[in-house]
Amino acid sequence: MTRGWWRKWWPLLASLAPLGLGLLAALLWQAGLLPNPVLVLRLRADVGTLLLLAGVLLTLLALPAAAVGMHGVRRRARDLDAVRAACADDRRRFLRRLDHELKNPLTALRAGLANLSALPAGAERDAARASVEVQVARLSRLATDLRKLAELERRPLERTPADVGELLAEAVELAQETSDRAVILALPQAPWPLPPVSGDRDLLFLACHNLLDNACKFTRPGDAIEVRAFEDGRWVVVEVADTGPGIPADDLPHVFEELYRGENARGVEGSGLGLALVRAVAEHHGGSVSVRSREGEGTAFMLRLPLA
Amino acid sequence: MTSSTILLVDDEKAITDNLAPFFERAGFRVSIAHDGDTALRLAAERDADVIILDVLMPGPDGREVCRRLRQRGDWTPVVMLTQVGGPGERALSLEEGADDYLNKPFDPQELLARVRAVLRRARPGVPPLSAARTLRSGPLTFERPARRALLGGRDLVLTPRAAAVLDYLLTHPDEVITRERLLDAVWGWDYPAGTRAVDTRVAELRRALDDDPAAPRFIETVVGQGYRFVGPVEVVS
Repeated sequence: MTRGWWRKWWPLLASLAPLGLGLLAALLWQAGLLPNPVLVLRLRADVGTLLLLAGVLLTLLALPAAAVGMHGVRRRARDLDAVRAACADDRRRFLRRLDHELKNPLTALRAGLANLSALPAGAERDAARASVEVQVARLSRLATDLRKLAELERRPLERTPADVGELLAEAVELAQETSDRAVILALPQAPWPLPPVSGDRDLLFLACHNLLDNACKFTRPGDAIEVRAFEDGRWVVVEVADTGPGIPADDLPHVFEELYRGENARGVEGSGLGLALVRAVAEHHGGSVSVRSREGEGTAFMLRLPLA
Repeated sequence: MTSSTILLVDDEKAITDNLAPFFERAGFRVSIAHDGDTALRLAAERDADVIILDVLMPGPDGREVCRRLRQRGDWTPVVMLTQVGGPGERALSLEEGADDYLNKPFDPQELLARVRAVLRRARPGVPPLSAARTLRSGPLTFERPARRALLGGRDLVLTPRAAAVLDYLLTHPDEVITRERLLDAVWGWDYPAGTRAVDTRVAELRRALDDDPAAPRFIETVVGQGYRFVGPVEVVS
């Protein structure tokens, strides 16, 4: 932080330094703290020499400014190149993962269609058709989630005060309807209940639901899932914690990336965009999401949302 | 009843190849265009009863085709197939005068239901409700471009999403609109428990409209299905 500040302002400070020193010297001399002899200067020169002197003086002044400017341009170009390279890497990674996510359902679809055309009407043919429909639903879900992500970045937020407690209770209720995991919800009542956050209730619900859905998917029967929320300064913090198998340390920095699937996530149903959506919703609201995890012990996701 | 003709416009041959026999089995005659210029030509040459129009196409895109049709006074009902369905997109579509919108990927049965609904609603040569700027239902006036609702001349305070729900219901009167369809049309995408979000907005609308669910003047609940706008809707401008 301090270093960044110095880097940004040093050319200005350096250029002001002679003025500062001059001021200090003038003050010291005026206060009588230094002997103050009077110098009488007499200058006698032809106009040509004077103009040359003026030119030298101006060049001496302009050179450091130009050097600082060129340094800045070079640095900005380097920064821009780095950002471009990072974007290109992201894009390549995303396309690779998208390719992977599309290949599996498409392969299953081709197999299902081959079976459909070969099988006579009956139970087996019904099973092949059902399998084709499952894959179509999977691809539709992927397309819908990709669209949600793309839209989130550009659509304006419909901000109203949203009651996070109510929203979490709803998300927990839904999780219990669709999963057999037991979820414990702890909401503060003292010294006061949770204050509302400012945001789009439907999107905030989506984020809480995805975190909880994730916990249900990655835990084993008998594992504990706890959802809690508390006030922290100007934030409301939602925490979804579980005693599941945890996330390997190598996977941890990537879990919020689009279509990333870690070691433990292979074969688990989902579009691979759930946590990316959580991050997009959090950031769109001026908040953040983070994760801590220990392999074999459990995982906790923390969603921070600004108070209304 | 003579069978209606559909002009099906999509640049993706895989889609037209599969949808055409589907609609033919449902009793329609189908003509096909794969780009905007052909669509405009076919619409002028043949008398389609309804046009299914994809948005992204070579040449003039679906929006442009719809605008040009309306400009030349052709009010054949149009169902627009959209790729994205954000609220911004929908505000844009108000100017085009399409009768209904459906997000891709969709269930063909849903498209068939929409086609039948716009055919039922359409009056030959008359602009559809979705092309109106101001609609009225009894004491309720709705200025669509500004999304401003007035009840007996009094301004109603509505959240943008509730206003969008009202807009959709008003432009589809007498039709049962499922919660999933409202989600698709207003939110742009479905999500778990999204149907509850729809109920919350409808409850907000009913409070603002002072509408009693037991004896509705405007919005009726169709148990197990969704909602229906029951008030008579007329075009003011």
